[in-house]
Amino acid sequence: MTDETADGPGYAIAEDGSFTAPLTLAYPYARTVGPTYGTFLTGLAAGKVHATVSADGTVFVPPAEFHASTGEALTQWVEVASEGEVVSWSWESAPGNAQPFDRPFAWVLVCLDGAGTSMLHALDVTDPSEVRTGMRVRVRWAADAEPGIGAITCFEPVTTGGAS
Amino acid sequence: MGAVRCAVVGVGQTHHTSCRADVSIAGLVREAADRALADAGMTMDDIDAVVIGKAPDMLEGVMMPELWLAEALAAAGKPVFRVHTAGSVGGSTAIVAAQHVMSGVHKRVLAVAFEKQSDGNAMWALSVPVPFSMPVHAGAGGYFAPHVRAYIRRSEAPGYIGAMVAVKDRTNACANPYAHLHEPDWTLEAAMESPMLWDPIRFVETCPSSDGAAALVIAAEDVADALPGPKAWIRATSMRSEPTMFAGRNQVSPQAGKDCSAELWRKAGITDPLREVDVAEIYVPFSWFEPMWLENLGFAERNEGWRLVEDGVTDLRGGSLPINPSGGVLSSNPIGASGMIRFGEAAMQVMGNAGDHQVDGARTAVGHAYGGGSQFFAMWVVGAEKP
Repeated sequence: MTDETADGPGYAIAEDGSFTAPLTLAYPYARTVGPTYGTFLTGLAAGKVHATVSADGTVFVPPAEFHASTGEALTQWVEVASEGEVVSWSWESAPGNAQPFDRPFAWVLVCLDGAGTSMLHALDVTDPSEVRTGMRVRVRWAADAEPGIGAITCFEPVTTGGAS
Repeated sequence: MGAVRCAVVGVGQTHHTSCRADVSIAGLVREAADRALADAGMTMDDIDAVVIGKAPDMLEGVMMPELWLAEALAAAGKPVFRVHTAGSVGGSTAIVAAQHVMSGVHKRVLAVAFEKQSDGNAMWALSVPVPFSMPVHAGAGGYFAPHVRAYIRRSEAPGYIGAMVAVKDRTNACANPYAHLHEPDWTLEAAMESPMLWDPIRFVETCPSSDGAAALVIAAEDVADALPGPKAWIRATSMRSEPTMFAGRNQVSPQAGKDCSAELWRKAGITDPLREVDVAEIYVPFSWFEPMWLENLGFAERNEGWRLVEDGVTDLRGGSLPINPSGGVLSSNPIGASGMIRFGEAAMQVMGNAGDHQVDGARTAVGHAYGGGSQFFAMWVVGAEKP
């Protein structure tokens, strides 16, 4: 709410009478995501990645509700892998409060195996030398997650498990 | 070269309700667009340009939703225009779409308007406590209540006129499957007992908060002529605006509205609106605005609009000028779409497609919308015959 007293904090009054007053808008909204994003977001909470498929065979992850080029309503579903490849990345050197880690990490665009589009998430690495385009990554699932993108804690590098 | 003749060839709307939890905003607008296209016998591929309108972004908290909605409207590679004139935006959007065709630039234009009120709270979004104004925190009803009282005082209208309009519109809505409110049991006595919400506006005299969308397909004469279905030929359009507040402003019957309707009648060649218009869908979010707009539009002399209500002239059955046979904004208010619903319902009437709320023999119909602090006006006249 706004402080409506003229001598309240944030008021600046100039000699000519002009002044600056604080105005804080705090306002709750709801989001009705509809069945497409709903299927995806609830699927994540069950450890599954659902994707929509268009008539031209494109697999959308996250699912598109409508094809960006043709406007086709996308109602065909497939499940894709929770492992994929980094398409591009950016280094986060100074994370903010609401970000997935409280120390430096990478933002990555990941194309999951079976998908034709990429999705944005965080990658659990601590130094830029640990991330590169083309590297293999997998989902790290959150335990007991609510529906939403937060059901994916982050991505983590796929290590080849000793054999090589 | 004169303007290209054009017609509404398709009308679509969603079922309006308090919360369409089953669809995203994209799904909501697509539903209306699909219905309008099906009504026109067209597909998205036939459309040359898309014009989209909604009320302030703050109502849902989605900034510039038109960018996101391009996919849902199959607008890739086509021009997309956003129109914004507050509550009148649905009407303005229809007019801008028509102007795209009149200008000769496009042949087939899709106009879409929507609001998903359940994603926000319009009343509070319209009550921002800016530091230099008196904080009323009462939304649109609080803003308009003094104007309604001023109308009642100067016209000496009986106190039950607002309730009469409310009962009429809520009853009309029962014949409209898309209407939000279906309340068949209202009587004048019950309406007069409805709680006072924004004195002198009673609860029943107030519009609901709705989720919904509307869409129109507007086509050039040659395209329209080649289509087999009925058309609503656009005979005249008009838009006007004025500031919200200035000294001497007539808030009850704003000059912009008078100028807008005067131009509308002149362009349409209508000299006696009450006699020549068969049906009108006008923007009445609070029931007293029916007599107020009847005067502002020139259907009645100053202070005489309420007599048309009292005499049953505006009734769907038996009235010579039915107002809001769809049930109007008073029965469905997806704000951004509400003006387009008025324009689309007017078109449906002259196309003979209004179903159970069809006005028999409607050949000339008016769509009207207003917005902001009664400061934006949009109107059109559509007819069954080519102008």
